[in-house]
Amino acid sequence: MATADGGAYSYSLTVFSPSGKLVQIEHALAAVSQGTTSLGIKASNGIVIATEKKSSSILIDDSMIEKVAVVCPNIGIVYSGMGPDFRVLIARARKSAQAYWKIYGEYPPTKVLTQEIATVMQKATQSGGVRPFGVSLLVAGWDTNRGPSLYQVDPSGSFWAWKASAIGKNMVNAKTFLEKRYNDDISLEDAIHTALLTLKEGFEGQMTEKTIEIGVVTVPTLEELEAGKIGGETGRPKPTFRKLSEEEVRDYLAL
Amino acid sequence: MSQQSAFSSPGFDFSNSVRNNFLQEKGMPLPKATSTGTTIVGCLFKDGIILGADTRATEGEIIADKNCEKIHYITESIRCCGAGTAADTEFTTATISSNMELHSLSTGRKPRVVTVMTMLKQYLFQYQGHIGAALVLGGVDSTGPHLFTIHPHGSTDKLPYVTMGSGSLAAMAVFESSWKPNMERSDALALVSAAVSAGIFNDLGSGSNVDACIITATQTEMLRNFVKPNERVEKERHYTFRRGTTAWKSENIRDLIVNEDITLVGATGDAMDTS
Repeated sequence: MATADGGAYSYSLTVFSPSGKLVQIEHALAAVSQGTTSLGIKASNGIVIATEKKSSSILIDDSMIEKVAVVCPNIGIVYSGMGPDFRVLIARARKSAQAYWKIYGEYPPTKVLTQEIATVMQKATQSGGVRPFGVSLLVAGWDTNRGPSLYQVDPSGSFWAWKASAIGKNMVNAKTFLEKRYNDDISLEDAIHTALLTLKEGFEGQMTEKTIEIGVVTVPTLEELEAGKIGGETGRPKPTFRKLSEEEVRDYLAL
Repeated sequence: MSQQSAFSSPGFDFSNSVRNNFLQEKGMPLPKATSTGTTIVGCLFKDGIILGADTRATEGEIIADKNCEKIHYITESIRCCGAGTAADTEFTTATISSNMELHSLSTGRKPRVVTVMTMLKQYLFQYQGHIGAALVLGGVDSTGPHLFTIHPHGSTDKLPYVTMGSGSLAAMAVFESSWKPNMERSDALALVSAAVSAGIFNDLGSGSNVDACIITATQTEMLRNFVKPNERVEKERHYTFRRGTTAWKSENIRDLIVNEDITLVGATGDAMDTS
């Protein structure tokens, strides 16, 4: 019964195998490892998250694919794994951010939002009739409490903070590459560079501004913080997370 | 099965209305909700929309807030002035602002004024006028500048210049005599200012300062307390008492702190453990 792939214990999510594993979650992680590589690097003055935008056919209109998503003005997320599962999680994350705003008048800190998403993902590992989410997420955001922070969330619902991380197909090589090149005082510009080089390592095909997506978290200056919100007391703060446009990506690639 | 809790059932709970009517008949009136008696206006000009509002909030006959903010944020280039019950206008605009952000993220497009209007009117109609929010909604989107009024029961009007609130007649009189299409920014701002001032000086429910908000395709400028025609003047005489006005016979000074012992608490000494 306890065969390598889990045997009889691998078909039900809510059953532990004798070795103490939930084999369905292992399978979910395998699904993630089949997804395109994504990575995130935390710099001293910001964070960069990036991913490959790989289409299965040249006929696909890839301008409609959105792999780096904005959740609220200070948080963005990238994924590796099943696209549809990501879409559902992003919708939940956005609603959760607005619910937080309605109560506290400010957007959730990165850790709080990550915890909410992780809870949603965990619920799918301990309920009947559902399967785990087949995605790993890299959540990048800025808040006044901890400054810029980068979190990885796995299908099991566990999350932890990283200085630099990679998920998906080429994650092992990418992480080794990052370990060598990362230092604590890396600047945002260098981090974007390093991210592009890391992606290039395992890239199949041409790396152009149309086949990768990059999102950037910048730290607001003191003036911007003191300036307060757009539109007065009830307004929203200036965004700290944004996706780079195709022109900007092209400029970085040219360097 | 247990009864549905009050926190999850939809709509308003009218179970206290029989009791309240009885109490009112016996001579104990309902407490007054804070209202924004108000003069709120909006007008279309050459480059976009200008919204204006006074800053007085009343609670019956008393002024609850002399400088409240009635121009609410919906999105970056859409704002909404609110008259009526203050809580209703605040929460309604905040809810729709939040929903608009979700909508805009989901569609990937910049928000439109008509979308806000539709959300607001459907919300207010659902509550059959019990939510006392009379709104002036204005903004500029990809289709151009738009100005709407929304009444508490959910009806809307699309017009080039609008006024709402108890001071709306005074303000509308100013608009009707001076509004022209394609006004310059300075003329339009002066007109809005005059309209709100008419409300401030001729309506008891409106007062204090004028707030204005200019929305164009390129930027939104919030002019908080643009005009302050009701600032408190400095008193002509000094009413302080000279030292020695009250005679005293003896003096006794006692230190409140008798003995002070400082003991540090906590494993990490002074700093808070934030790890």
